[in-house]
Amino acid sequence: MWGEVGGALVVLLLSEVLDCIGISPPGKPVLINCRSPEKETFTCRWDPGFDGGLPTTHHLYYQKEDSYGMYECPDYQAAGSNSCFFNKSHTSIWVNYNITVVAINSLGSTVSDPLEVDVMYIVQPNAPENVTVSVVKTEESPHLLVKWEPPHEADTRSGWITLTYQLRVKRQNKKESEWEEYASRKQTQLIIYSLHPGEVYMVQLRCKLDHSLWSEWSTTTHTEVPDYFLKERSIWIVVTVFSAFIILLVTFTLAMKRKYVKHCLLPPVPGPKISGLDTQLLKSGRSEDILSSLMNQGFPPTIATKDQQVDYLLVFDSEQVTPDLQNGQTRTNNSIDHGCYDHSLLMEANNKEVKVGGRETVEQGYSEGLESTFRKTKSLSTDVTSHPYPQKKPFNNVTETPKQAPVSSEYRSLSHHKDLWDSLARHLDCRETVVKSQSNCNDKHLSSQNIVTPSKAIGCAEVQRWTKSIGLQVLVPKMDKRQEDYSKVSVVENDNVVLLKRETVPLNCTSCKVGGNRSEKCFQQKPCKPNMTVPAKEGVHIGSNGYVEPVTMSHTL
Amino acid sequence: MSRNNIKQVWALLMVLVCVELRGSGRASAAPICVHGQAGCHFLSLADLFDRVLQHSARMHSISSDLHSEFEQYVLPSRNHIGRINRHCHTATILTPNGKENAQRLAREELTEVILKLLVAWKDPLWQFHQNMVHQDDFNNFSSNKALEMSYMVHELRKGVEKVADKMQHLGMISNSLSGLSSPEALDPSSDTSGEAQAMSDHDLLYCFRRDSNKVQNYLKILKCRIVPENGC
Repeated sequence: MWGEVGGALVVLLLSEVLDCIGISPPGKPVLINCRSPEKETFTCRWDPGFDGGLPTTHHLYYQKEDSYGMYECPDYQAAGSNSCFFNKSHTSIWVNYNITVVAINSLGSTVSDPLEVDVMYIVQPNAPENVTVSVVKTEESPHLLVKWEPPHEADTRSGWITLTYQLRVKRQNKKESEWEEYASRKQTQLIIYSLHPGEVYMVQLRCKLDHSLWSEWSTTTHTEVPDYFLKERSIWIVVTVFSAFIILLVTFTLAMKRKYVKHCLLPPVPGPKISGLDTQLLKSGRSEDILSSLMNQGFPPTIATKDQQVDYLLVFDSEQVTPDLQNGQTRTNNSIDHGCYDHSLLMEANNKEVKVGGRETVEQGYSEGLESTFRKTKSLSTDVTSHPYPQKKPFNNVTETPKQAPVSSEYRSLSHHKDLWDSLARHLDCRETVVKSQSNCNDKHLSSQNIVTPSKAIGCAEVQRWTKSIGLQVLVPKMDKRQEDYSKVSVVENDNVVLLKRETVPLNCTSCKVGGNRSEKCFQQKPCKPNMTVPAKEGVHIGSNGYVEPVTMSHTL
Repeated sequence: MSRNNIKQVWALLMVLVCVELRGSGRASAAPICVHGQAGCHFLSLADLFDRVLQHSARMHSISSDLHSEFEQYVLPSRNHIGRINRHCHTATILTPNGKENAQRLAREELTEVILKLLVAWKDPLWQFHQNMVHQDDFNNFSSNKALEMSYMVHELRKGVEKVADKMQHLGMISNSLSGLSSPEALDPSSDTSGEAQAMSDHDLLYCFRRDSNKVQNYLKILKCRIVPENGC
């Protein structure tokens, strides 16, 4: 017992001494892995570990699943240091190997952890060999043809090994470019398209068995793609054809839809619409009519209303009283004031016939005064006499006036517009409305007097009667019972005076002109002639027939 | 999830039943004839081999997946006994352990080994699937795989038998294989059925993965030896 204790103490002392010196049994080796490149042989490698300061040897021992006994590695050199190579005769597939490595030095030995290996699952082939990359130049663009061979030790011919490959390509010059990977099942060549000219490409390959580990990447193969002009003819051809087709289509469509395109691009410009101007008349080319139509528009300035729908005022003799006139009778109480309006339509003279035309719509602004209405009616009259409107609304008992001013016995029966009468009546009533009238009508003067004086125009008296009946009643001289529905203008003066004359007149015809300062002035007229002409006023021309015609162009223009 | 699992299983079972029925009635339909007679669909030996190889590749991949799943999910929860004591029930079947050994075997022997392996695994796989359904270790996906695995073994065996028939007809191999079709002739299957049941699930999966790999490799060698036209 004392001997054993002494022995143990000695050993302990010795190890302590040895530790102080720096030597020890070897450290534990570690088996790194075992690899089989072709499923027929395999190699195991280990890490020797700390050798303990003494020369250490390593031994590998293995045990197979289906046999008993521990065997040592058959070949320590073939695969380099710290490795064990199992050749074909020592390799069994589908058999578990239990491998351990023992490190031995003079002080002791250490056994590594066991490693269980089935060759089937430690296969890792070598990288593909003879990788050749060539640039194939074709019409459109060059491409890379990559060819390779399987590792020489792999037996693919007998079907023992089936390899699948993987290829990756990268451009060398471009920084931060990624590898492009391509797979190839069993083929030993691959074509890479869409290259950049003037670039250097790097190609790498690797392979694996069906369920094994991937091999290492093969050595990089560099290939330069020469500079070539990217013709890309085919693309341009396609683009050209396509665009030509599109253009043809568009042209055809436009040609078919000419009208619509024209309408869209060049919208029809509305022709100038001058009220009263007749394009048809212009087209007919008769200068006289054209001039007359033009002049009509200018004189007098009328407010444009709707289309030339002309309503005419009914003018009747004193015997003829229209029902409407009756209604308005109450309004005209003061017939005296009509004298102010005498410069309007009120022409006395018995043998005057008034031909009045009226517009359908009356100005809203009655306050404008009589003058406006006067003007309106005056213009209307001129319109009527001189210028027919082919597009006029047919009136009752309308017979068309001929185009030429000299009218025969044709006339129109005019319907009157109640508003116009009202306005007139109002004007008659209200003295203050005579604003614009140039006639300085002295109302008082008028009112106080009986306007009608015998010396004055009979027309005044007639006017009075006329006003009562609210109508532009034709003042027909008693002597002449003829019912004339119209009258002709003999003279127009001062923009607010119209002298009317009858077409057919007896020998003695007097005209009473009331207007302006000469409110009660009457003067004898020369023997009336139907065709008396009066010196034309500006803007007005009395035609041979007594109709007011627009002045000729030479006057006004 | 269990309802879906049961539905899937039923659907798969129906599919299998239909396929079985169709398979049994295959003689009535246009059969794959060996002699190239009129009225049947002719398949060359190379085509047959290709089909069989595809089948075996798929079978092996499924077995690998199942094994890795088992090791990943189930093993850590179980007490793991040393794996060195593993003993596959097909160990009694002499199989070549390398390329030279396999090439040294005659064609008939190689074909016989393949068929023996396939026959030996039909019942254990079915049992395994049955066991797995009742256990909670595997998920539904794995149980479907096990079912598919057992089905594929059956199909592969029939395919290899057809290939053997065709080879015999073409005179490439002798007629010594004719006695293999009956299961009784294959002793290992009857002897090892008890052993197969004693195997643990993990061992079973490990063994089947290896055996499916053997089958695949043997078939490849056989094909490249008999019809080396394409893919060898």
